[in-house]
Amino acid sequence: MERRSVLGGLGLGLAGAASLAIPARAAGKSFTVALIPGLTTDAFYITMHRGAAAAAKALGVHLVFQGAPEFNPVQQVPVLDAVIARKPDALLIAPTDKVQLIKPLQAAASAGIPVITVDTYIGSGIYQTGSGDADFPLSYIASNNTLGGQMAARALAKELGGKGKVYVSNIQPGVSTTDERTAGFIDEMKKAFPGITVLPTQFNDDDANKAASQAQSVLARNPDLGGVFGANLFSAMGAANGIQQGGAAGKVKVVAFDAPQTIIGNIKSGLIDIAIAQHPAEIGWFGVAAAYAHLTGQSIPPAIATGFTIIDKQNVDDPATQKFVYSA
Amino acid sequence: MSVTASTHAAPGNPRGRRTLAALAAARAWIFLILLVVVFEIWSQIAYGTTFIFSSFNIRSIAVFAVAPVLLGLGQTLVIISGGIDLSVGFTMGLAAVIAAHVANGVGAAAGPGIGLLAAFVVALGATMVPGWINGVLVARLRVPPFIGTLGMYGVARGAAYLFADGTTVPVQNNWLTWLGNGRILGIPALVIIAVAVVAIFHYLLSETLFGQYTYAIGGNRQASSRAGVNVRRVTIILYVLSALTAGIDGILYTGRFAAGAPQAGEPLLLDSIAAVVIGGASLFGGSGTIIGTIIGALIIAVIQYGLVFLNVEPFWQFIAVGLVIIISVLVDQSQRRFSGGRQDE
Repeated sequence: MERRSVLGGLGLGLAGAASLAIPARAAGKSFTVALIPGLTTDAFYITMHRGAAAAAKALGVHLVFQGAPEFNPVQQVPVLDAVIARKPDALLIAPTDKVQLIKPLQAAASAGIPVITVDTYIGSGIYQTGSGDADFPLSYIASNNTLGGQMAARALAKELGGKGKVYVSNIQPGVSTTDERTAGFIDEMKKAFPGITVLPTQFNDDDANKAASQAQSVLARNPDLGGVFGANLFSAMGAANGIQQGGAAGKVKVVAFDAPQTIIGNIKSGLIDIAIAQHPAEIGWFGVAAAYAHLTGQSIPPAIATGFTIIDKQNVDDPATQKFVYSA
Repeated sequence: MSVTASTHAAPGNPRGRRTLAALAAARAWIFLILLVVVFEIWSQIAYGTTFIFSSFNIRSIAVFAVAPVLLGLGQTLVIISGGIDLSVGFTMGLAAVIAAHVANGVGAAAGPGIGLLAAFVVALGATMVPGWINGVLVARLRVPPFIGTLGMYGVARGAAYLFADGTTVPVQNNWLTWLGNGRILGIPALVIIAVAVVAIFHYLLSETLFGQYTYAIGGNRQASSRAGVNVRRVTIILYVLSALTAGIDGILYTGRFAAGAPQAGEPLLLDSIAAVVIGGASLFGGSGTIIGTIIGALIIAVIQYGLVFLNVEPFWQFIAVGLVIIISVLVDQSQRRFSGGRQDE
């Protein structure tokens, strides 16, 4: 509480200084909000941008979307610095590393730019508590990836009637979101579905070809394999192809995390059974809305959890489902 | 190094050197066979099942090897000529995205067969552009291949993402997806196509004057030029061929996964270069064979598939492939020291 008021005071002071330098803003010109995604070449963040743009339009906010082509701090930090140099009124960012982005974001905060993290977080992801050096962002807006993993486990267990062998196809260890999905999936399976055996997780380097080969190999070793959980697009796409190449399409259930067009196409053709769709547009919308609320003197919650939608063959063609398909 | 570039095997080598060279050429084979034997025994002892005498496993390994093999084919020629092509990964992605769009668009208008044909023509035509530019940069403007193709890596990547609108392009073309997943007499169509392309490249490299020029340029560029080889023209063609195999790879990827992904080839680039090196090609140019690259790719595929089959902790895969690369290069180096020169084939 106290910490927030200190930060707020600092922000006000700097905002005052800025208004001297830029008289246009004092004259009531619209706010500029910058959105820095984890990477620019990903349907998830492109969809987040769509939601953010919708909110920006509704609120008369100017939205800037800039990011790096790959999900790593070495490429993200220069983009962040360049954005800070342009002095936006608020910053929405999906930090690419829990630790490495703390210092660069502190620079933004001390320049008087309120920081809100979307999708990923810094520190523990619990902000405005007065503990640690990474609690300064105002809010963390994201879907809970652990919960998403649990939902994937429940959906798959239901398909399998509560028994059988499954494994997780993951990209590489150390990525917070995919690690949480994997952990959520495995924990839920162990806790709630004792009839299901979880085989060791396979890491595919985000290479669909490797994920496919691993699926075939696991299938060769375990002909009674019941299902696979692909923790991201290429993991799911690759696993589905491996199952198909292995002649077990339809028999082995494939659950995908995220719902870009490709996954939706695969659900229609039967290669993938279930997709756990996050709501990236919702994250973007609430990100801009939260920034606007803060900039206009409202208080905002330190965390906003966005939802999931389960897409399968039954609802994939529903008009109501279409807004959860990732697209620009 | 031989100035007369028109003969097939390096002439005038003493017998001892030849034996050594043959041994070195065989080392990739020996490695592969040893690997399979070890995995077979391991599988028999630990699980009581066969590893290699299973059509399922052989088919899986073959399908897995197709992508790095195709990416490595053109790369082998480029590396033999003393160059390197870092752009192939995203040239592949570019072809994948273009093929997806064309197969969808033309397919919807004129039927899936015409759509498939158009996808091949347009995607391969498009990949020739970055290939040709690479060649011109290296051959005419004397840009180091590492730098020139690194630049093209970025350009092709950007173009692929732009065409794909930043995401993957789903494919609705039964003919194209059949190409990626169908089988003829139990053999995946992918593998049949790859074998055909491999045969063409093997012939090109080992039986034609063009192949000899490629070795000659890698052996000694100046000498080849003085001997009358049109070094610039051959070099440009090499980079175009490299882009073309990447393009074929991209189209097949699109068929297989029913999606054109801009980043399809990104994780494959290093695997494909590793395959070329394990197969006996020297990054200094002048040596290497197509068959070697195939064996190299199969070694990587057997390790990666086999270790999963044997339930080995996943991280050992990285270590195993890394060790094989290091050992291969060590053997190569020591063989070079003994023979005191480059080896043609």
